[in-house]
Amino acid sequence: MTELTTLTRAGPIATLTLKRPEARNALSVDLLNDLHARVASLAASRDVSVLVLTGEGRAFCAGMDLKAVLDDADAALSLLTSLADLTLALRALPMVTVARVNGAAIGGGCGLACVCDIAVTHADSRMGFPEVDLGVCPAVVAPWLVKKVGAGRARRVLLSGGLMTGAEAHAVGIVDHVAPDAAGLDTLCSALTARLATGGHVAMLATKELLNRLDHSMDAAVLQAGAELSAAIVSSEETRAILRARLKA
Amino acid sequence: MISFEPVGEVAVLRFDRAAKKNALTPAMLRDLVVRIAGCNSARAVVLSGAGDVFCAGFDLTLAKDDDGALAALITELAAAIGALRDVPVPVVASAHGAAIAGGCALLCACDFVVADQASRIGYPALRLGISPAVSAPSLASVIGCGPARRLQLDPGVISGAEAARIGLVSDLMNTPAECEPRAIDLATALGRKPAAAMAHTKRWLNRINPLMESGACEAALRASLEGVGGTEQRRLLAEAWSRT
Repeated sequence: MTELTTLTRAGPIATLTLKRPEARNALSVDLLNDLHARVASLAASRDVSVLVLTGEGRAFCAGMDLKAVLDDADAALSLLTSLADLTLALRALPMVTVARVNGAAIGGGCGLACVCDIAVTHADSRMGFPEVDLGVCPAVVAPWLVKKVGAGRARRVLLSGGLMTGAEAHAVGIVDHVAPDAAGLDTLCSALTARLATGGHVAMLATKELLNRLDHSMDAAVLQAGAELSAAIVSSEETRAILRARLKA
Repeated sequence: MISFEPVGEVAVLRFDRAAKKNALTPAMLRDLVVRIAGCNSARAVVLSGAGDVFCAGFDLTLAKDDDGALAALITELAAAIGALRDVPVPVVASAHGAAIAGGCALLCACDFVVADQASRIGYPALRLGISPAVSAPSLASVIGCGPARRLQLDPGVISGAEAARIGLVSDLMNTPAECEPRAIDLATALGRKPAAAMAHTKRWLNRINPLMESGACEAALRASLEGVGGTEQRRLLAEAWSRT
């Protein structure tokens, strides 16, 4: 099997890269399995203080790869449960996590950016949650967006669907820092990660654990319920018809 | 250590240690709590600092060979945050110049924050192994959990302008000198509103705040105290002192 992710290290900074550029790094069962294994290895790491999550190629992550599960309700549920579990494991990591949104971050991909402690992008990236436009319910990522931008803004973003630019995502609060263009993202991201690495590891971890407690990050039940709801909607006749038409087009 | 000046019906409290950039000692924080308790009959409070900056954070020279002093600073800071939040009149901070670490933590407990564009705000004490978690519930209450995470985990400082963008600063001024006068004007205007309605509204906002659920502030204080005296914090503080 070809590797669907890579994990590299430069001192205390690790970079986890989604490596399925031909599918715009869409989250398939295999890619999610790969990510689970990487995150599990990072959870045991003692000397990484910053993790950067990014995508190879032009996209950060185009969201859930629903093609394979379109006619299989059980497969849809296991795909979405896998996403839900991954978000929890990512949030629980003992290092500061940075989403480096190099390009499109859509649906579940944008959700992963919200799970990270800090998100950065450039002004021209495309981000957002177009789920409702496709008849899909973004139930797994919704709790993470609410934690990131607040319930009022999350409501507007998720019910509006569509996509926004990186600059707009910065204004809404989905990303914390924005580079003026794609070329500026590396400079911005390396300055940020170098700064984050200067923090005392024990103090950073204690702070992160407190923040996770404060916003109920480890509430597995709401994510499991979200996976079940999202899977049920994906498997409905109406949504299947919309998705089939879209995927053919 | 804290000066008090009545301006009309506004109580102006100032950190009065300009030569040390108003660096906080446990005694100053205890004094602040006492002063705030004395402000119950004022109509509004302004929290400011004498000199060029609002507050540069803890006076860590006290903690050089004394873990107890750092623990006391964190514990008294938690008490001061609670006092600012619970006083039944509006509190306006003048965050001119800088509000660093413990200074930033105090801003989170104020109802309004005036700052200048270039004011330096944030938690660089993370570099010394000191967790800002003690102020996390208050900070998240003001700006939301997402932006609070970004600020609490980043050892850098942000500008007053960026702090206004994310909602920590309510009134942005061009220069540091404009901040305290603006804070007093704002407090005066707030102080003219009916006192009972203001007190009840502030109390109610505290009560309905889900981030202040039982145990949250205690857990936040414990998280900041956890690293005190630990190997990492001792090493980082010793490195910092060897540079000065």
